[in-house]
Formats: sequence, C-alpha cells, structure tokens
Amino acid sequence: MRRPSILLALMLITASASGSLAEGKRVQITGEIVDTWCSITGIMFAAGTAHHQCAVWCAVGGIPVSIKTENGDHYMVLKLEDEDTSVANPTIVTIQTHEVTVDGELHERDGVKYLFVSKVADDKGIVTMTHEDYGIVPFGR
Amino acid sequence: MTGLRTILALTAAFAPSPAFAADSWGLPNETVVEIEAKVVDVACTLTGDCPDNCGGGKRQLGLLTPDGKLRLAAKGAVNFAGAVPDLLPHCGKTVFADGLLIENPAMTIFMVQNLRLSKDEDLKPATAFRTEWTAKHGKADEWYRVDPLVKKVIEADGVFGIKGLEPKTDE
Repeated sequence: MRRPSILLALMLITASASGSLAEGKRVQITGEIVDTWCSITGIMFAAGTAHHQCAVWCAVGGIPVSIKTENGDHYMVLKLEDEDTSVANPTIVTIQTHEVTVDGELHERDGVKYLFVSKVADDKGIVTMTHEDYGIVPFGR
Repeated sequence: MTGLRTILALTAAFAPSPAFAADSWGLPNETVVEIEAKVVDVACTLTGDCPDNCGGGKRQLGLLTPDGKLRLAAKGAVNFAGAVPDLLPHCGKTVFADGLLIENPAMTIFMVQNLRLSKDEDLKPATAFRTEWTAKHGKADEWYRVDPLVKKVIEADGVFGIKGLEPKTDE
C-alpha cells in the first residue's frame, strides 16, 4: 500500500506546483464575434454590419477576437476547434460579426474570460443589422 | 512666491521627458501606465500547453507582472493591429511596457504603446506590426485597406459582411 500513497503524494505535489493552472469550466456561449479592442474600449460603435469591415481589419491585424453575448459579457477566443492560432486566425477572420454558439472551456483570470472553443455548434451568419443607422464605422466608405 | 512659481513652471517646461511616453486616449476605464512584466504565452500560462517560443507568433501574448497579474496585450501602436510582433522577440523575458490599461468590467486589456528592456533605455514605439507587414507586402499608408487577406474577405462578402448588401453611394 506504500506505493499508491507515494504516487498520490507525488500527484498532489505536482498539482500544487502547477499553481495557477486552473481547470477550465465547460460552457456553451452564444454571441457575436467582435474585435476585442473596439468593443471593450468603446472607441467607436462596434457591432453588427456597420462595424464588420473594421472587425475584419482588427482580426487580420492580430487583435484578439471575442464573442460578445447578449448581456455584454466578452469571451476572448484563444483557440478555435483544431486550430491553435489565435493571432489572425484565417477561419475566424472569415466569420467576423457572425452570431455563433460555441462549446468550449472557460478560464477566467485577472478580469478576462478566456475561451478555448472545442466546437462551433451553430453559425447563424450576420444577424445584427446596424448599417442603416450607422453606415460604415469607422471612416465611412 | 510668484518668482518661485515661475521658476518651477520653467523647470517643468524644460525638464527632459522620456521619448514616446504613452498618450492618453481619453477612454473609459483607462489608466496610463508603464508596467514591468514578463512576456508570456497566454494559453500556456492558463493551461500548461506550452509550445516553443510562445507559439512563434500564432498565439496571443500577455504581460505577467511581478505580483502575478496577467495582462492581455490586446493592441500595439499601429492602427488596427496587435502587439504580438512587438512582444514575441522578448518571450519569457522581462520588459517595461508603456501604454494604456483598460479596466472595463467586461474585460481588462492592455494597449502597448512603447517598450523598453530596462528603465535606463529610451522607450521604443510598439510598431513592429508595420515593420513586418511592410517587409512582406511593401509600403502602404493604410495597411488595412490593401492587405491581401482583408481584400479577399471584403471582396467575397462586402463591407457589411453579407454578399450582395452594398452601401449606399453617399456612405
């Protein structure tokens, strides 16, 4: 019985040493894919069709992409299905502004909800029509 | 006292100031700050999944302060571009990042405006994205309008993201 005890002790020590490596929580999130900078800073109107072009610019520029839920929570996407690229990810660039439902693992730390998306369960495309009210944001045409 | 005030004002006006110190953007929840922090791969820090060299530019990077705060480096000093090209060369090293800490209740992010490796150095603007982009694509005033991937996406679905939905002529 001594060996299992030693193994258990080693496992506990390893878990303790990893310290900040918190277990993620399984979640399902629904919301609009937004560029994190414009949406969080409020520097401009940043939702729906009016802001789509800017969202593409920012995603291609490597600014983190988030999913913004109906209640205003933001989930920063650190991984998308099998792709490990969270900087200018070519797939996520093409679905900017889409309303999606995703399954994934949530890690929260220091004011940020980080999301590792395991599956895009639904993609409704772009459903938030804001261009009639706001035109093209920023700069216009 | 008037003489003293004048001397103090003149001293302040002509005192040497650090080059490129961060500019306030007047944003809600914004603090202008220079933080000392280690450059880290955010996903690695959260999960322990750690490829070499902080992911080699494919992963979002953060700034881990001595008191254990992880700050997401969401933006650099180039319009519509992030800070990964600026931070990646310093993966695992301590830097002094000068910029804006935005503590929105929905998310806390950091905009890197300038960097230096020690307090003795001058700050350097966080414009590595432009340098790398120009080396790859050539010089452009507005990279985001001529970038090949941006053009491909916008040409496919339009500026509003919906094929066939076009702006009015006055937009």
